[in-house]
Amino acid sequence: MTLWGIAWGYLWNRKFTTFLTILSVALAVALISSVLTLREETRKRFEEEGQAFDLVVGAKGSPLQLVLSSVYFMDNPTGNIPWTVYEQIKNDKEYVQSAYPIALGDNFQGFRIVGTDASLFEHKWISPISGEERHPFKLKEGKIFDKPFEAVLGALVARETGLNIGDTFISSHGFIKLPEMLGGHDHEQHPYTVVGIFDYSNSPFDRAIFTSVNSVWDIHGEHHEEKHEENQDSKEESDIKYEEWGKDPHSMITAVLVQLQSPALRFQYREMIRESTVAMSATPVEEISKLFEQFLGTAKTVLLAVGYLVVIISALSIMIGLYLAIIQRRRDLAIMRALGASRIEIFGSVLIEAFWVTALGILAGYFLGGIISHIVGYYLSQKYGLSITSFILTSEHITSFATVAVVGLLAGIIPAWQAYKRNIARDLMEL
Amino acid sequence: MVRVEDCFLKLGPKTKFYCEKFYAPPKSRIALWGPSGCGKSTLLNLISGLLRPDRGKIVVNGIEITSMSESKLDQFRGENIGFIFQTFNLLPPFTALQNVVLGMRFSDTIPSSEWKKNAKNLLNYVGLGNRLNNKPSQLSVGEQQRVAIARAVANKQKLIVADEPTGSLDPKTANSVMDLLLKLCEEQNLTLLLVTHDKGIAERLPQIYDCSNLVNEEVEV
Repeated sequence: MTLWGIAWGYLWNRKFTTFLTILSVALAVALISSVLTLREETRKRFEEEGQAFDLVVGAKGSPLQLVLSSVYFMDNPTGNIPWTVYEQIKNDKEYVQSAYPIALGDNFQGFRIVGTDASLFEHKWISPISGEERHPFKLKEGKIFDKPFEAVLGALVARETGLNIGDTFISSHGFIKLPEMLGGHDHEQHPYTVVGIFDYSNSPFDRAIFTSVNSVWDIHGEHHEEKHEENQDSKEESDIKYEEWGKDPHSMITAVLVQLQSPALRFQYREMIRESTVAMSATPVEEISKLFEQFLGTAKTVLLAVGYLVVIISALSIMIGLYLAIIQRRRDLAIMRALGASRIEIFGSVLIEAFWVTALGILAGYFLGGIISHIVGYYLSQKYGLSITSFILTSEHITSFATVAVVGLLAGIIPAWQAYKRNIARDLMEL
Repeated sequence: MVRVEDCFLKLGPKTKFYCEKFYAPPKSRIALWGPSGCGKSTLLNLISGLLRPDRGKIVVNGIEITSMSESKLDQFRGENIGFIFQTFNLLPPFTALQNVVLGMRFSDTIPSSEWKKNAKNLLNYVGLGNRLNNKPSQLSVGEQQRVAIARAVANKQKLIVADEPTGSLDPKTANSVMDLLLKLCEEQNLTLLLVTHDKGIAERLPQIYDCSNLVNEEVEV
């Protein structure tokens, strides 16, 4: 029978209190662990997807908004740019390896309809995180669109809408499904036909519906002409919507996704875009890094501070629990001393109890944190198509667990010291 | 086996313990008898090293324990002295078997590979071979005392100190526990120092040491 076994015996003897103390440590660790996991995993996934393209070129505005809207399909676009910008970039073979137009404007059940060129689906890149080739556009069934109003669905879209090859659907104007009284309307004249479904890629592309740029243009050109005819009184409104797409609807797109000949050209090419076009460009990876460092960095700090506060409260509960336990079992400690246990062994056995509670709390907290990450990760994958790993162990995790372990052991020192200096003769005679 | 000479201990502002001389030869069985508060438990605690005298000499098993360091004394106690207390002898989280093993855990007398076997044999000897895995709360007070007796000799100690071992027992159980203790001491040639205020229990031992005058307020330092 070791000191570890003796300590465990006493913890087991007061199971409920021990369970509550372990639970309080576990909750603190779960909070810390899940914050670290979710931040690290979402950062990795965002950056991995951000590496898909060197630059995004779009209307002037917030670079982060441009990146979020055109690469991650999460925000509203900054506006539109002339088609000529795309042609200019595509033909700049000295700098550009590939360029893909993106035309946004409609949705189906909240999923964005992305007008693009079929060449996008050949796009591949090497993930800097896994080192593997990423190719998110693998057809699960069907084919790529080659006629107007043919659509290829991302895997999540297919799953959630239940659409299959050959089905048709009506798109709605805007990026979310709005009721008519709030300006929402459907493009009933031009139903899309599903011709293909992509396999899961764990990327934002899973939540998009792809069609040709022409299809998007046709819908909006014709639709807004119809609106003019149907409702002369709302001319002002129609004009604004019309301007959204430019005076010639066939000449405007939302953004251009650009793969350069080398990532080293990013800065130089951004300057060239700024100087030679009406558009602006942004580097997805840089914008995402800024997002994580600035806004999400503060959120992380706040959540970690809360986590460590809970750790301190847990440490106090460990200390109080052990202190009361020592008072309750002072006779047991005296008997152990009578049996030959040294003061150091008594000190050690109490400290081991603190260790057990802390270690089990950390272990349980890590798994609880993984479960939390899994649940949040499921939400993220449904909402943004970002799949994350729930159980990871980074150096930040290890550092935080070590900190919790040290705090837990420090909490055990005071009760252990109380046990160390007890008067055994008095404790034996008291009862 | 045990020799106490000129042993003085201040217990309070006006209360002092003084034992001029006490001697217990090997294999002796002595009752330390006297009324409550007379100092018999204090004498036992001094002999077992749980208390240190302010002055005097205590020799146990040929070794003077008064000058021992605390850690040496812990080790000495574990290897040489077996304890039996009045009540709450056992550690509640552990089974009878584990409690006896604990008697061997803190000294190097018995190799750890033999702890379990030795503990089982001892529990069989005290008639609790069928209660090995019972926790103290599942044992009667008499059975708990039997486990304590088994634990007291687990390290093959030659000196047993028992502080009112029958104080919480009914007369019938007290007699059976005394029978067991005396039988064990007889068979294994142990020295027994037994504190009791019960004259009847004291008279069951061959020798009685009257502790009536150990604690008083008159002793000069």
